[in-house]
Amino acid sequence: MLNSTHPDDERLSALASRDDDAVADAGLAAHVEACDRCADVVGELGALRASLAELPDLAPSRPLRLLPPAEEPRPATADRLGSWARRLFAPALTAGAALAMVGLVGTAAPALDGMASGGADQALPEVGAELRADSPQSAPTDGARILVGSDAPAAAGEGGVAEDLATDEDAMGEDGSEAAGQARGLPAERSPWPMVLFTGLALVIGALLLRWILVPRAG
Amino acid sequence: MADAPEPAPRNRTPPLPDEAAVIARAADGDRAAFTRLMEHYQSACYGLAWRLLGDPDRAADATQDAFVHAYTAIRSYRGGVFRSWLLRITANASYDILRRQQRRPAGPLPDPEEGAPELPDASAVDPDAEATRSELYRHLERALRLLPPDQRTAVVLCDIYGMDYNEVASMTDSALGTVKSRIHRGRLRLRVLMADHRELFTS
Repeated sequence: MLNSTHPDDERLSALASRDDDAVADAGLAAHVEACDRCADVVGELGALRASLAELPDLAPSRPLRLLPPAEEPRPATADRLGSWARRLFAPALTAGAALAMVGLVGTAAPALDGMASGGADQALPEVGAELRADSPQSAPTDGARILVGSDAPAAAGEGGVAEDLATDEDAMGEDGSEAAGQARGLPAERSPWPMVLFTGLALVIGALLLRWILVPRAG
Repeated sequence: MADAPEPAPRNRTPPLPDEAAVIARAADGDRAAFTRLMEHYQSACYGLAWRLLGDPDRAADATQDAFVHAYTAIRSYRGGVFRSWLLRITANASYDILRRQQRRPAGPLPDPEEGAPELPDASAVDPDAEATRSELYRHLERALRLLPPDQRTAVVLCDIYGMDYNEVASMTDSALGTVKSRIHRGRLRLRVLMADHRELFTS
């Protein structure tokens, strides 16, 4: 829009709406005063602006709702409880199912471990017995010491395992019983997993019951 | 712009005679008083929404959104011209709809004649002058609908509803310079679109 002789048309529009900066621009005012073309533009834009300001209000195309709907009355206590039960049902069911799953895995893991390593555990005493039998200096009460101190180099690998076994035996007591270990002051270690499993199941059952009791059923 | 003389509004809803009392009752929760206010100003609000949105259904939706907002906000109304307060709420409601609409590809409004509301019949003091005026309004409304949306919004808010540049900038989340530029370019484009009807302009 800007050319060498006339000011930018946007400046003329600013003058037509009597913007502060345009009105204060003496050069712009002097040009418009002297230039017919720019005076016409300012005049037309002023007339356009005046006509826009006269445009009438318009009737809506359809009846409008003038008020927002009145607030609904508060629901009865049973409805509120039902609403809470409905809201809590999914999270409680999910949490219960997750707890039950974790508890189940935690409870079953030692048994599965035992099954997996049961073969090896049973094989080890046999190896130890074999080694004891092979050693000319074997003594029935202290297999590990005999094996480690043995001059049979082929037995070195199995010797480590046998030593572990001997250590376990020490912890269990001489008669190998857990009761004896406890009697010597070791704390009884109870697995938390069954409790987790039962808590999860209780949560699931509780959520189902609450929903069945509190949430009104259709029909 | 702040010191620009505002042309006297014609054909615009005047304030209610007992407006302050009605507003006070509405602010106290009197639903009948609120209904009376909205009934009185619904044409003003709908006209603004229609000019911004160019669609009768969306304009009606925006107007109703504005009424719901006004119902909750009227307690915080702190005086001033009630019509302007309500129009600002309507403009915001319309602009929210416009923003959602503009996220989809959109250009100028499709058919300038489609959905255009009937302009009110002017009182027949001078039938010829009123006929000329009605024709001018029709051409102006048509030309407005041919503007790009951002220019149309700025021109409608500023030149038809008398909002200042700062208000338009805040309402449209735009920089002040951008708003001024949109208004000036919109006006210049309207001038070109109205070139064949210059004789109708208010002198």
